[in-house]
Amino acid sequence: MTTVATQIKLTPEHNARPRASVRSRLQDALPKIVLAPSFAITIVFVYGFILWTVYLSFTNSKTFPSYAISGPRAYQRLWRWTFESDPPSSWYTSITNMGIFGFLYIFICLALGLFLAILLDQKIRGEGMLRPIYLYPMALSFIVTGVAWKWFLDPGLGLEQTLHQWGWTSFHFDWIKNKDFVIYTVVIAGVWQASGFIMAMFLAGLRGIDGEIMKAAQIDGATTFQLYRRIVIPLLRPVFLSAFIVLAHLAIKSYDLVVALTSGGPGGSAWLPSNFMYEYTFKRNEMAVGSASAVIMLMTITAIIVPYLYSELRERPR
Amino acid sequence: MSVIATPARQSTGGISARTVNRIVVYGLLALFALFYLMPLFVMLVTSFKTMDEIQNGNMLALPQAPTFEPWLKAWGETCVGLTCAGIKGYFWNSIKMVVPAVLISTLLGAINGYVLTKWRFRGHTVVFGLMLFACFIPFQSVLLPMATILGSLGRFGVTLRNATGFSFGLGNPTVNLVFVHVVYGLGFTTLFFRNYYEAFPTELVKAAQVDGASFFQIFRRIMLPNSMPIFVVTVIYQFTNIWNDFLFASAYAGTGDAMPMTVALNNVVNTSTGVVEYNVNMAAAMIAALPTLLVYVVAGRYFVRGLMAGAVKG
Amino acid sequence: MAFLEIDGLRKRFGSVEILKGIDLDLEKGGFLVLVGPSGCGKSTLLNTIAGLETITEGEIRVDGRTINDLHPSKRDIAMVFQSYALYPNMTVAGNIAFGMEMRGVPAQERQKAIDKVAKVLQIGHLLQRKPSQLSGGQRQRVAMGRALVRDPKLFLFDEPLSNLDAKLRVDMRIEIKRLHATTGTTIVYVTHDQIEAMTLATKIAVMRDGEVQQFGTPAEIYNNPTNLFVADFMGSPAMNLIPATIDGNGNALSVVLQREAREPISLRLADAPTGLSAFHSKPIIFGVRPEALTDPEGAERNASNIATADCHIEVVEPAGSDTFAVTNLGGKAVVARLRADANIQPGTVTPLAFNLTKAVFFDPATENRIV
Repeated sequence: MTTVATQIKLTPEHNARPRASVRSRLQDALPKIVLAPSFAITIVFVYGFILWTVYLSFTNSKTFPSYAISGPRAYQRLWRWTFESDPPSSWYTSITNMGIFGFLYIFICLALGLFLAILLDQKIRGEGMLRPIYLYPMALSFIVTGVAWKWFLDPGLGLEQTLHQWGWTSFHFDWIKNKDFVIYTVVIAGVWQASGFIMAMFLAGLRGIDGEIMKAAQIDGATTFQLYRRIVIPLLRPVFLSAFIVLAHLAIKSYDLVVALTSGGPGGSAWLPSNFMYEYTFKRNEMAVGSASAVIMLMTITAIIVPYLYSELRERPR
Repeated sequence: MSVIATPARQSTGGISARTVNRIVVYGLLALFALFYLMPLFVMLVTSFKTMDEIQNGNMLALPQAPTFEPWLKAWGETCVGLTCAGIKGYFWNSIKMVVPAVLISTLLGAINGYVLTKWRFRGHTVVFGLMLFACFIPFQSVLLPMATILGSLGRFGVTLRNATGFSFGLGNPTVNLVFVHVVYGLGFTTLFFRNYYEAFPTELVKAAQVDGASFFQIFRRIMLPNSMPIFVVTVIYQFTNIWNDFLFASAYAGTGDAMPMTVALNNVVNTSTGVVEYNVNMAAAMIAALPTLLVYVVAGRYFVRGLMAGAVKG
Repeated sequence: MAFLEIDGLRKRFGSVEILKGIDLDLEKGGFLVLVGPSGCGKSTLLNTIAGLETITEGEIRVDGRTINDLHPSKRDIAMVFQSYALYPNMTVAGNIAFGMEMRGVPAQERQKAIDKVAKVLQIGHLLQRKPSQLSGGQRQRVAMGRALVRDPKLFLFDEPLSNLDAKLRVDMRIEIKRLHATTGTTIVYVTHDQIEAMTLATKIAVMRDGEVQQFGTPAEIYNNPTNLFVADFMGSPAMNLIPATIDGNGNALSVVLQREAREPISLRLADAPTGLSAFHSKPIIFGVRPEALTDPEGAERNASNIATADCHIEVVEPAGSDTFAVTNLGGKAVVARLRADANIQPGTVTPLAFNLTKAVFFDPATENRIV
C-alpha cells in the first residue's frame, strides 16, 4: 500500500516539491492517524489499567488506593487462605468453587453441545424450530437467567413444590439454599445458558465436514457410531478448541450469575473469584487483596488465551 | 450416539430398528427443548398470575385469571431500593446508554478494521493482537483504576460546572458507562470488521484508488455500502452485550437514578423489605429480557453469526 | 524515446527483494505482456506502474514524465483487475463513471462518456444493472468499459481472463486484441498463461523470481529462448529438453542422445553455434520443440538441416488436430508432433525427423543458451 514509509527522497526532484510532499505525507499517515485513538485507548485503559491494578496489589490499599509499595502482602494472604479449608476462607471457597464450576460447566456444555448437535444433524424435521429454542438463553443477561432459575429452583415455590403437588411428596431439592450444593445450581443455570451456543458451534463444524469423507467411510463399512467416533469427532478438534476457549473465558468471568441466582449463597458459599474480587474491593475495604485476586484471574485467562491468539494470528502470514 | 439411524437390518416384530431410532432421537430433542423452554415458560406464566395463585397453585399451571397487573406494577410502581416508581426509568437509562455506546464502538470498529486490512503498516498484527487480547481480559483487572479515573473526572466535572455552568458530561454515570462500554467493546468490533474486511476484495480498494478516491471516500463509498451484514452482526452483538452487562453497571452506576436495567432488576428481586412479589419480579425480568429477545427473534441469524465470529477468530 | 520506460526498478519488503532491477521499455501503441509463474513479481511490477505499490529504487516514465511518486489517479492510467473489481453497490453506469465522479466531472459529461463506451462494448442494455446480475463475460466487459472511459495513456491488465471459462477466455482474448488494434492504446498486460502472452503481445517479458529472464517479441522468445527457464515456460506442449553430449570435432559436431537398451542416437549438426565446440564430450541440454520433431514426411521441406533416427514409440496421443508421439531419449519422455493422420502405433520403432535448424543448446551448469 502507499503507506509504506519507503517513499522518502530518492530523487532530487522529490525534494523540489516540498508543498506536495507535506500533503502527500499527511495522506500517507492518515490511516495511522485514524487508528491511533483506538490504539491509544486500548493501551491506556486496558494495559495501563492492568499495570495499575498490579501496582495496587503490592500496596496496602484498604478503602482508598494507597500508593506506597508494601510488598507482596496481599499475595501472601491469598496464599495462606488457599489452604484454609476448615472453616473455609472466602478465597478457599472461591477457588474450589471455580474448580468445580469450571470443570463441570465446560465439560457438560461440551458434551451436551456435541450430543445435541449430532442429534440435530440427523436430518431432523423441524430443525429450524429447535435450534433457536436451544440457543435463545444466550440472548438473555445472566441477571435474567439468575432470576428465572432462582424462582424455578426455589424449594418453597419451584420445582420441589410442583412435584409435591403432583404427588411425589418425598422429593427434596434445596440445593440453592444449601451451602454445600449451591455452586451446582450455578452450574445448572450456566449450562442452560451456554450449551445451546456450543451446540451451534458444533453444528456449524459438522456442516463444514466434507460429505465425501462421510461417504467414503460408509463405503469402508463404518457403522454410524464408528463414523462419529473415528471420523467426525476427530475432525471437530478445532471446534473443541474454540468452544473450550469460549467456555473457559466465560467461566472465569462469571460474576453476574452468582449474584442474581444465589446472592452469593449462604455465607458466601457460592462465590467465584470474580465475586471475591468485587466484595473485597468494594465492600470489605481490602483493595489490595481485591487487586491481587484480579491479577490472579487475569493471569489464569492469559495462560489460556495468549497461546491461542498467538497461534490464530500466526497461521495467516501477511 | 449409537441411537442414530442405521439401515434397518433386523426388522423385529413389525417396527424396524430405524423407526425406533427416529422415535428416540425426536424424543430426546423434544425433552431438551422442554429443558430450555421451561424457565422462560415459568417466568412468563408467573408474571401473569396473582400472588394468591402463585402461593396456592402449581408453578407450571397456566394462569387461571391472567392479569397484566404485575407488568404494570413492575413498569410503573415497584420499588428499586427506596424509590418506588417502577423500572421504566431504568429501562430508559439502559436505552440512553446502549444506543450511543453501540453506535460509537461499531463505527470505530469499522474504521479500525478498514485500516488494519486495507492500509496495513509494519506491526499491524501486533496492534490488532493487543486490541484483540483486550476482549478477553477479566474486567475485574481494570475495574478499580477505571473507578478511580471516573471519580476524578466527576470531580473535575463539578469544578467545570462551577466555573462554566456546564459539566460536559463529566461525572454523569450514563456518559461514564457509554465511555466504558466503548473502550472495552472496541476489541470486539475491531475484530468483527477486521475479519470481514480481510475477506473483502482488496482489488476494489485498488480500483477506487486508480479512480482517484481518497482514504475516506473509499471508506464511505466502497467499504461502508458493502458492509451491511457485518454492521448488523456487530450492532446486535454490542447491543446484547451492553444491555446485559452487570459488572460495569453495578460498579459505576450501582446506586442512584442512573442505574441501568440489569442493576435495577437485581435490586427489585433481591429487595428484602416487605412481601416478595414474585409475579412483579418475573414481569420485571421479562421486561429486562424483552429487548434482547426481540432482537434474537427478529435477527437470530445475525446474532448467532456474531457469537461465532467472537468465538472463532483469525 | 520509448513511451513507457522502466529503469533499474527495485522493490523490497523488509529484507526480501521482490523486484531485482527491472529494465523495460515499450513503444507507443505497443502491447507488453509480463508473463511468468506465480510469485515471479509480475503483478507487483504492474502495481508499481499503477502506483498501487511504492518502489524502493529506480524510475518509471510514461511519455517522458517520471511518475514514481504520483498517486495512482494522477498517472493517467486505467486498470482492469483479475476479479474485475466492480463496486458491488453501484450500477454498471455508476461503476464506469466513478472515476469521473471523483474528478468532479459534471453529470452530463459523465453520461455522454458512459454512452460512448457502452456503444463500443455493446453493454448499453446493462447500464442500470448491479454487477451481481451480470455474467462473467459481461463483468469483464464492464471492467474494460471502466478503463476505456478514462481514455488513459496506459492500460494495465492484471490477469483479466483467468476467471473466465476456457471458451469465453478465447473470445475475450480476441476482443482485447481487436480493441487494441482499433484504439491503438498502449497496454501492459500480466498473465501466467503463455498462450495469451504469445497471441496478444507485441513484446513479451518473461519473468522469474523478480528478474526479467528475456525481453523480446513473441517470435524471439519462442524461437530463441535465452535460457532453459524461458525455453521450458513458453510453448505448449513444452519444448523437449534432453540431456545430451557433444561429439566430433571442428565443424563436424554431432549431438549424442543416450537411450535405454539401444545404441545412442548421434545427430550431425550442419551449422552448430560456435560456442558449442567448447562443450566437446561434455554434457549439454539439447532443446527441440515438438513440432521440430516429426515423421519424415511431415518434416519442413525447406529446413536446411534435418536428421532422421529410429525411435521407439511408447505412447501415442491423438489430439484431433495433431497426433503426439512420446519416445524416451536421454532418460526423458520426449514428445514429437505428427500429422493428425500419421500412421503410428505404440510399441513400434519408427523413424523421426529432427529439424536441427530449430534446435537450441543449453549449458546445464549456467542454464544459459549456448550461442
